[in-house]
Amino acid sequence: MTADELFRALGDPTRLEIVRRLSNRESCTISMLLSGLGISRQGARKHLQLLADANIVTLKPDGRDTIVSLNRATLAKGKAFITEIELQWDKRLEALRQYVDNDQINDL
Amino acid sequence: MQDTIAKEITVKASAQRVYEAITDPTQIIKWFPDAVEGDLAAGQKATFTFEGHGKSSIYTIAATPFNYFAYRWIPGGAVAVDDVLKESNTLVEFFIEERDGKTNVTVKESGFALLPVEMAEKAFAQNSGGWDYMLERLEKFAS
Repeated sequence: MTADELFRALGDPTRLEIVRRLSNRESCTISMLLSGLGISRQGARKHLQLLADANIVTLKPDGRDTIVSLNRATLAKGKAFITEIELQWDKRLEALRQYVDNDQINDL
Repeated sequence: MQDTIAKEITVKASAQRVYEAITDPTQIIKWFPDAVEGDLAAGQKATFTFEGHGKSSIYTIAATPFNYFAYRWIPGGAVAVDDVLKESNTLVEFFIEERDGKTNVTVKESGFALLPVEMAEKAFAQNSGGWDYMLERLEKFAS
């Protein structure tokens, strides 16, 4: 899986809502998950399959229904990477600031 | 979806001063890598050395005095390769703009969407980014 799939999978309001709903519980059935979401079961299937392909959720058949659970580790991976790189740029820009500011003082 | 990081800072120095601090190999080592091998001119390959971490290969895309500098590299730790452009890479751009005696520097790194997740995993296995924080920011993925 690429980060592209991960981020693309999350870049949709319905899928984001599904993830948000799942974040409050360990796992639930598709029926429970979809109540009040305003989309058809078939439409939801497509979204869930996409999330499953990106390893964001796991789908497990349970009789006539399907249990959906969230893979938090997958989400955390993508975010941790971005967060870390943001922090690095903060530090570097601060170092640049100190370098050019100090240098200017030395020039005086 | 987040493909780009953008960070901004204002410094008390001229655009020329900042541009040179970024593109002059003898100056960039004062604040960014510990050593530079090669040339930071458009179309040139170079290597950044980060003490304790290793070397990163750089390919300079553009160097336009005194407002723009851009290179490609492989993010998430030191990775030295023969040809950066053949690997999964990100584009780092510096935008330099002088105004009223101060200079605004924006750094933008883009291309994260196409990186293999394994790369992120390997480089930041130790990162403890909290789940709450993650959820808080989920909305931003959608924009």
